[in-house]
Amino acid sequence: MDLSLSETQLMLRKTVEDFIARDANRDKLIELQQTPRGYSDEIWRAASELGWVGMMIPEQYGGGGSDFSTTAVVYEALGKGPVPGPMFSSGILAGQVILQAGSEEQKKQFLPSIASGDIVATLAMTEPDYQWGPAGVRLRPTESGDQYVLNGTKLFVYDGHVADWLIVAIRTGDGADDISLLMVDTKAAGVSARKLDGFTTSESEITFSNVKVPKANLLGKVNGVKAALDRALLYATPILCAYKVGGGQGVFEMAVQYSRDRVQFGRPIGRFQFVQNHIVQLVNHLDAARWTLNEALWKLDTGQDARVGVHLAKTLASEGYRKACDYSHEVHAGTGIMRSYGLTLYTRQSRSLYAALGDPRYHRKQIANLIETIE
Amino acid sequence: MDFKPTYTPEQEAFRKEVRSWLEAHVPNVEGDRDSDENYAKYRQLGRDLGARGWLRPTVSKDYGGGGLNFEQSVILYEEMDQYGLGLPPYYDSGGWLGGASILVWGTEEQKQRFLPPIFKGEVVTWQLLTAPEAGSDLAGTKTDAIRDGDDYVINGTKIYVGGSHKPDMLWTFTRTDPTGPRHKNTSWFMIPTDTPGVTIVPMDLLGDGGEGIGASVKNTVYFEDARVSAKNLVGGVNNGWQVATTHLELEHGGGGSIGRNKWFERAVQWSKTEKRNGRPLIEDAEARDRLADIFVLTEVSRLFGLRNYWMNRTHQKMSYEGSQSSYYRKLTGLDITTNLQELFGPASLINGGGFDFSEGTLDAYHRSAITALHPGGTADVQKVLMARRMGLGRDEAEAAGKTVE
Repeated sequence: MDLSLSETQLMLRKTVEDFIARDANRDKLIELQQTPRGYSDEIWRAASELGWVGMMIPEQYGGGGSDFSTTAVVYEALGKGPVPGPMFSSGILAGQVILQAGSEEQKKQFLPSIASGDIVATLAMTEPDYQWGPAGVRLRPTESGDQYVLNGTKLFVYDGHVADWLIVAIRTGDGADDISLLMVDTKAAGVSARKLDGFTTSESEITFSNVKVPKANLLGKVNGVKAALDRALLYATPILCAYKVGGGQGVFEMAVQYSRDRVQFGRPIGRFQFVQNHIVQLVNHLDAARWTLNEALWKLDTGQDARVGVHLAKTLASEGYRKACDYSHEVHAGTGIMRSYGLTLYTRQSRSLYAALGDPRYHRKQIANLIETIE
Repeated sequence: MDFKPTYTPEQEAFRKEVRSWLEAHVPNVEGDRDSDENYAKYRQLGRDLGARGWLRPTVSKDYGGGGLNFEQSVILYEEMDQYGLGLPPYYDSGGWLGGASILVWGTEEQKQRFLPPIFKGEVVTWQLLTAPEAGSDLAGTKTDAIRDGDDYVINGTKIYVGGSHKPDMLWTFTRTDPTGPRHKNTSWFMIPTDTPGVTIVPMDLLGDGGEGIGASVKNTVYFEDARVSAKNLVGGVNNGWQVATTHLELEHGGGGSIGRNKWFERAVQWSKTEKRNGRPLIEDAEARDRLADIFVLTEVSRLFGLRNYWMNRTHQKMSYEGSQSSYYRKLTGLDITTNLQELFGPASLINGGGFDFSEGTLDAYHRSAITALHPGGTADVQKVLMARRMGLGRDEAEAAGKTVE
């Protein structure tokens, strides 16, 4: 038993931290959040060139071939920034879906350019009446020879507005799991993308208007991708959790520092027990998310059944990041809501990513469904 | 990161040895594990384990421990857990905490005198900290130990002490300088229970604080002119507050634990046999949601315990983790009992009389979850400690208490 990080992992973390200090420090991130795209060329170039985008893609497809734990170390460090950009959406999530569902030819076509950062891909699954999972997929294409024709909307697609390719989940049968995955070029006629403003990060609306897509763009078989999609989500979800744990760590450290620096009634506010309570609850949520995640990563890396572990980690990462931000706001009070301070960078993410890949209620339900598998 | 020890062939052989030894030595008991008869059997198991050094596997052989390594201790822990028995000693929390404190703070003579009997399972020790006037404010104790020749004379009262079967030794926190400055006026003693002037009276309480063997009763201990040799004062005169940091670090959860997720397993088992509307509970979607909620709560506690066990035994620098584990367990204990009551309904409160499917286990847990809020420091005290360890409002974080196991 060894619950510490390896030397390699510690070095990787240091690399991310050094990059953040230089090119993605808090002042820069505060500026970036006002821009339409939300991230900078420096960020995307570093994430691509240093291998963070493609680190979970196998080496034979141009990626780094890292294991789950090591990938999580990098994404936790990115989350602590919190460094914005489509690294997870493209390199991890889309990369895993293509790896699990695609043909050899498709893997060779897409994965190297995803890993190198030359293209951005993202998964477009959810729709206006939001429901996570295959049952929520209702976009039903019509067929025209060897083409599908898409008309409709995908909503809450993370990074859809900066994507070159969309992996669009389409309904191709009446059974709950009768869905298929279609690679759609965002430059195709009839595709439009719009970033959704509000308390969001990179959610977008994708509209399809008579978009013609060759059937050859199907990933895997018609109505035959459920298992592959499940695997891809099982492998990608913990990396999103790591990003959130990093964010929780960020707001924790801010709260501890503020408890020392901020003086009211003649003493640092961290001496007041109500304030202490906020930070105690914060770190409990953070550590619950961190250690359930760590165990799930270990299960994945050692080839064990990690389904329950991943659902558990995602439940607590979504709840934990949100609560961590709530408590940090209680500590920071008025200071925390100033955009120039930086806390809201995290708070925005804790809301925006709360339901990404399924909200806590969804993941608790999956645990309930899997009770018999728990040893 | 690796959540399970990697065992060498030698260690796997050790596991086989432990398993077959336990099969031969763990007593078969029926009914109340804490009855006089059954307790005597478990005590004998303790002596047998102690004779092999397995009661305190990682403690040095010089003091009666096993001198075993971390992986071997995990093997022993896991195999004992199969029988619902914990290590450190399942019946001897006073020996565990007192022994650890003596290891850090005792003189060599005291280590030689006190530790082997504890670590070999020959004696049972209770810890005496809480007093009627001093609960969370431990330093405010008024159990006075006043020097008289070669002895100290002790007067005072301790409460919430020990268990259902009389111990051999009392690991006791006293005030040795009643007018001295706070935190510099206390000392610890090892006191033989048969010292004249020591009286033990069981308390009438809601329930016990856990499932430990011998834990079904708490007591008041009265000291009336009890005379104890000065050689039994451990850790230096008026240095008791420093010694307490070791004791409390472990009692607050810094030692950690490894084990299965007992309450979730039980709830699942009962859900298979208990019915609602003629169907097993486990087939009911609402019931499964409650089981999932119990799982989420209990898994976090399990992982905090595991993390602390690893940190403690591999000598990682600890901060707030001990108190965090304690606090989380206390608070979620209440949430878990709420979920159990929603899951199993009114029958979860019944003890005996025909509707008691859990044979009193759930009744006991409903009570012990409440009782468990105070031992080893209240939930609020754990939060205060966490705040200090994190350095909230302070330039420097407070260091964790020193332990050597």
